[in-house]
Order: sequence, then C-alpha cells, then structure tokens
Amino acid sequence: MSALLNIDNLHAGIDGTPILNGLSLSIQPGEVHAIMGPNGSGKSTLSYVLSGKDGYEVSEGEMMFAGQSLADMAPEERAIAGLFLAFQYPLEIPGVTNMTFLKTSLNAILRGRGEDEMDAASFLRLAREKSRALGMNDEMLKRQLNVGFSGGEKKRNEILQMAMLEPKLAILDETDSGLDIDALKTVAEGVNALRAPDRGMLVITHYQRLLDFIKPDVVHVMAAGRIVKSGGPELALELEKSGYAEYVGETVNA
Amino acid sequence: MLDAQSYFDRVSGDLSGDATARAAALAAAEAAGLPTRRQEAWHYTDVTRLLGKRTDDTIGAVDFAPLNPLMAVFDNGALREAPVAEGLALHDFEAAPIGDNAMLNYNAALAQGGLNAEISGALAQPLIVTTQGDEPVHLHHKITLAPKAKAVLVDNHMSCGYTNARFDITLGADAELTLIRVQQAGHQIGTSQIELAENARVKSVALVTGGALARHEANVAFAAAGAHAELHSAVLGRGDNHADFTYVIDHQAAETSSNTTAYNVLDAASRGVFQGKVIVRKDAQHVDAQMQTRAMMLSEGAEMDAKPELEIYADDVVCAHGSAIGELDKDALFFLRARGLDEASAIYLLVAGFIEQVLSHIDDEVMADSLRALVAQKIAAQFSIEGAA
Repeated sequence: MSALLNIDNLHAGIDGTPILNGLSLSIQPGEVHAIMGPNGSGKSTLSYVLSGKDGYEVSEGEMMFAGQSLADMAPEERAIAGLFLAFQYPLEIPGVTNMTFLKTSLNAILRGRGEDEMDAASFLRLAREKSRALGMNDEMLKRQLNVGFSGGEKKRNEILQMAMLEPKLAILDETDSGLDIDALKTVAEGVNALRAPDRGMLVITHYQRLLDFIKPDVVHVMAAGRIVKSGGPELALELEKSGYAEYVGETVNA
Repeated sequence: MLDAQSYFDRVSGDLSGDATARAAALAAAEAAGLPTRRQEAWHYTDVTRLLGKRTDDTIGAVDFAPLNPLMAVFDNGALREAPVAEGLALHDFEAAPIGDNAMLNYNAALAQGGLNAEISGALAQPLIVTTQGDEPVHLHHKITLAPKAKAVLVDNHMSCGYTNARFDITLGADAELTLIRVQQAGHQIGTSQIELAENARVKSVALVTGGALARHEANVAFAAAGAHAELHSAVLGRGDNHADFTYVIDHQAAETSSNTTAYNVLDAASRGVFQGKVIVRKDAQHVDAQMQTRAMMLSEGAEMDAKPELEIYADDVVCAHGSAIGELDKDALFFLRARGLDEASAIYLLVAGFIEQVLSHIDDEVMADSLRALVAQKIAAQFSIEGAA
C-alpha cells in the first residue's frame, strides 16, 4: 500500500532561518501518528509547511500527499486534496457566522473536487447532526466564527470543521493546549469518531496527556527540526517520565 | 457648483418661495465660499479639489421591493413620486433661514424642494427618499416625528451628479427613527440636523460604496433625558473614492447616551475620514458616549484619517473612544484558505464580515439583506470574483 503522507529529508524555514532539518516521516492510511517534542523543536512549523502557509520556504526534500507533491500547491488546493489542519489558535472572524463559514468551506472543497455543491437544506441537516454529535448546540452555528468562543469551544469547532470536511489526513496542532480535562475528552471523542481505515492523522502535542485519549499507532520524538526517535505508544509514556532532556542534549552534542 | 452665482441666475426663476431671501442666502454663502482645508471641520476633505474629480462607480439598484416601501423619488431634484400613507402628512416646502454654515446657506439659496414630512404614529412601511439623476441638485428635507411616532427612513442616494442635501430631523418624546443611508457614486455633501426629545431614539446606519466625494455630516442634539442615538457607518472604498463622516454629538441633557461606530475598508487610492466630536454639557450628568473606529487597509495608497474628540464639562459620565487601523489579517486569510477557499473568496468573506459588523445593527432582516446584496455585488466586482455564500 502506498503511503498517505510521505515526507523525505525535509528542510524548511522562515525568513532564511532553517527550522526543519532533514525531517522524514511516513503515514499509511488508517494510522494515527503522534509527534511530541519540546518547545521550539519545529512541530508547529511542520504543520504550517504541510498546509502551505505563506512565508515558509522548503529548501530541500519532498512532501508527497496521496500521490501529489505538496510543495507547489496553494493552501486551498491542499485542502481540496484532503489535507486538514486543526489550528492551535483558531482565528476569530467577526461578521461571518459559523454556519456561513462552514457552508462556504464545504462548497469550495466540493467545487474544487468537481462535485456538486450541497443545497441549503442538506447542509443544514448535516451541520446540525455533526455539531450535536460534538455536544455543540445550534446556537453555536449562528454565532460569529470563533468570536467570544471559549478555548474549548474553539477547539471543538475545529473538530466540527474536520467532521464536515472529512479529510484524508488531519493534522492536529496542539489541539490539547488550553483545554481542561472535560473539554479534552470531548475533543478526543470527536477525533476518535473520525478514525477510519482510509484516514490518517498526525497529532502534534507537547504533553502525553492527549495521547491517553487518542491512542496513537506510532509516536515520534522531534527535536531540532527532525525526528530523533520513533516507537509505539509506550514511547509517549517514557517521555512523560523522563522528559525531553535526553533528546535536547543529544541534538546539542550532534 | 463652483460658479454658484451664474448657476443661481440661471435657475432662480424656477425656484419657489421668496427670491430675495434666496439671493440673501446666496450672498451669505458666497461671502464665506466653499469650505477649505483651513477650516478644522474640513481639514481632511478638500471640497474644491474633490468636486473636480470623477470616479467610475456604477450604481447598483438596491432591491427595496420586498419591504413594500413608501417611495419619494427625486429625479434631478424634482419629486416624481410622492408617498401616501396613513400617519404620514406631506407639507409644502419651507425655505430655511440663513445660518453660519456655508453649505447650508448654499442649500437655502438653491434648494429645489424636498420632502417635508410629518409622521404621527407608527409608520408600517419604510419611507425611501431616492435621489437620482446627474445634474446638480439641492434638496432640503424636513422629517418630523410626533411623540411616540415610529419610522424607518432611507436616504437612498443614487445620483452620479452633485448633491447638496439637508435633512432636518426632529423626534418628539419617545419617538423612534431608524435612518438608513446609502451612497454609491457622485459628489454629495449631506448635512443632517437631528434633535431628540425625551426618550427619543435614533439609529442611523450609513453605507458608502462609492463616490468622488461623500461627505455625511450629522449634528445630533440630545435635548432631554433618555434620548439615545446610534450612528454606524460602513465605507467600502475603491479607486479614488472619498468618504467623510463628520459628527457633532451634543449631549445637552443628563441621562442621554450615544454609540458611534465607523468601519472603513479602503482599497487603491481611496480615503476614509472620520471626525466624531462628543460634547457633554456642564449639567449633563450620567451621559454614556461610546465611539469606535476601525479601518481595514487593502492598499498602501489608501488613507484613513480618524479623529475622535471628547469635550466633557460634566464630571459623572462614561465616555470612551477607540480606533484601530490595520491591514487584512494574514493569519485569518491563511485559515480560510486552509479550509478550501481561494484567495479572492477568502478576502471576500473577510471584507463582507467587516462590513457586516455595521449592517448587523439593522433590526429589519429584509432591509439588512437588501444592503448585504449591494455590498456583495460591490465586493465581488472589486475583486473580480463571484460572491461566495
């Protein structure tokens, strides 16, 4: 089976400062990978480079997603191809309701795939069904996008977008940050409900806690812009005990 | 306009009323001349220069039909259609006295007419005053709401010529007025005098989508306790558009309140001006006056001048003003693109959302939708995209 995502020797940075230094990673359909690492190791940069944020430059290596090279694709083309980034800090967009946003997004993606747009009634039914499954009331769909949402509501809203868009690969960038334990559980349940044999996930986190609720198949340790160790779920528990010192030290000596 | 005397000599024969009084008003206006940038209230708006400019704005018909409105249509200054409704009385045109405002003196000298309407009770349909044509026009409207009267008034400016419009608006005790204004093109200097009696409430929502000169001046006087005014404006500037909102918000009485917001989206070489002066008189305690200005700059050639001013003589009041001028939010743009929207659609949504923060003040959703449709059309044309959502 060909990999859903294959990153090979990726070097990338911003404003001439290298951040990713030869990162390699391969995710098969159905797999959940976790990337853990200390602050500044380049975890968020990886999520931005994969999703195509302006300002990040790839200097070497390649990123293949579902058979396509991501490097020259615009962010919206990557989304249409099935890549989804759940933002660490979801943006507030005043004057645009959550509903309008979801509909515009879903229809843009359907259009981009050459499919018919969804009619208003079907969309409304789908949005209500998916949001209720996440414990969100209809009122949240009418509110302005993320404006005045609590941290937990914003993250839940990201998962709602993921549920609506049904991506091939979801990247969750520190989805656990700023969440209390109840919100974390709700978000994790939403994510788990989306695990599927043809869908991959890349869960980026600083803490092991999230991985109690979203069980990864593979855990990677990232330091100084590359993967320094990979293993099974037990690696996360090990990190929880001994911290990142070993890996940070290693890269300093390297 | 620039040669007012010869214009007056040409048209005065067709003007109603006291010719001598008109000539005197013209003399007073000409003695002062058109406002210049040396006058503080006109510092950012150079009338003479802007009157010489043309813009290529198109006029999109705003579809008010679903509102089943009462129409007063002024075609090159002449009333073509007069509204008839219960609770609405139309009176003969009344000339205005000479004052110290040159633009109003020009208006007193040259006004061809205007709507002199008295509203008693609650007007069921919105009253739309449409100004259209391409000739120079001077109109003087007088709108009076009796105590407890309620109305929605739309100042629908569709002219692509020069307009000097005066609105004298008086609200009796407990009266309530929603004032919607739209300007899409042309040169307009509009001056509104709004007087509020006890517990009277006015809510004004103005939208400027074009024009080489759009000057909207409003002087609001709160005469008695409980009076409340909201003045919200949205500007969608492109090309050489120039939109100026200048307010004097005069809290003469205690227990009065005002809320002013101005949202400007400025592209190309367009310019937005906001001048808001809040005066709280000596005995006007417990006044609450809020003022916010926001601008989204889409081009380096665009300019926003925001000047909020507070002049407070009472000591127990709540007054605040704030101003935020920024570019299009790059992170928000990336967020939307990462959700599948192409760049133009993402910009469309951010701009429409920005303007929506003003339009959402309109209580009547049908009315709000008719303006949303105009905004959608204007943004789509500006960014050469099909409107999303």
